[in-house]
Amino acid sequence: MNRLRKLSCIAVLSLAATVTAAFAQSSTPVQTGVFHGQVHSTSGRASVYKGADGKMTLRLTDFKTSNGPDVHVLLIAANDAQDNDNFLKSNVERIELGKLKGNEGDQNYDIPAGADLAKFHTVAIYCERFNANFGTAPLEKF
Amino acid sequence: MISFLLKHKLLSTVAFLIVVGALWYLFRPEKLFINQRVNEAAPFAVDRDAQPIYTGRLSRKLHETSGRATVYRQPDGTLILRLTDFHTSNGPDVHVVLATGDDPALQNTAPGKALASVEVGGLKGNEGDQFYKLPANTDFTRYSTVAIYCERFHAVFGTATLQPF
Repeated sequence: MNRLRKLSCIAVLSLAATVTAAFAQSSTPVQTGVFHGQVHSTSGRASVYKGADGKMTLRLTDFKTSNGPDVHVLLIAANDAQDNDNFLKSNVERIELGKLKGNEGDQNYDIPAGADLAKFHTVAIYCERFNANFGTAPLEKF
Repeated sequence: MISFLLKHKLLSTVAFLIVVGALWYLFRPEKLFINQRVNEAAPFAVDRDAQPIYTGRLSRKLHETSGRATVYRQPDGTLILRLTDFHTSNGPDVHVVLATGDDPALQNTAPGKALASVEVGGLKGNEGDQFYKLPANTDFTRYSTVAIYCERFHAVFGTATLQPF
């Protein structure tokens, strides 16, 4: 009896694992690009993932930049950007994705629903306080 | 001025501290030396799907070539190369190969010099998405270039430099 209970418990657990994996599996990369940035030495990869529900996520991998005050992750309506570009002065349209979670390591950011990625196709690591662009990753179709 | 500061020692100390505090808050100089490391999980199942591990854009050498080359690791550990949005010219005895990035034959401006390469397979089609099996022990730090290569004339049609995904 005890053994039977144990077996059914295992069966239920493995079923649960399959279901979550099936949900997670459907997130696939749709766009990707590599960071460049000399002044603040930024490197790594930015990729946009699309989930089964259509939800877009920006993921940074192998990522490294300098630490700084009030640094944000932006999508900008530009083909590329130079080191230390001032987006306020140049009036570049942008979508705020949030404060940079860490200056090193893998990290995810939600992209607002309805964001036009054909227009906003470049990722920028931007210091709001000093209007300095730390690094840029132009996205290309994956 | 100095006599004023000396007379009002407490006041000037407080003012000094406020200024220093404001400057510290504005510039946060300690962040130059302190790293903030994060490690968030991927938004997909890492152990069940084929994972892209290297990718690069194909560009032309001797013939117009475009698309993307991506190396995937499958859950069982095998490696596959996938070409997407792929387009090159058709030709005789064309192969997909891996080469070292510094191979001088990659800079050929005319067919002739042979490429020192690892064979991946005969090109299945000059257009469209396609899969190739890769040798299990491939060292991508060394063989970091995917080349579309015509063996008969030693002509490099196009290449992609693989970068970590």
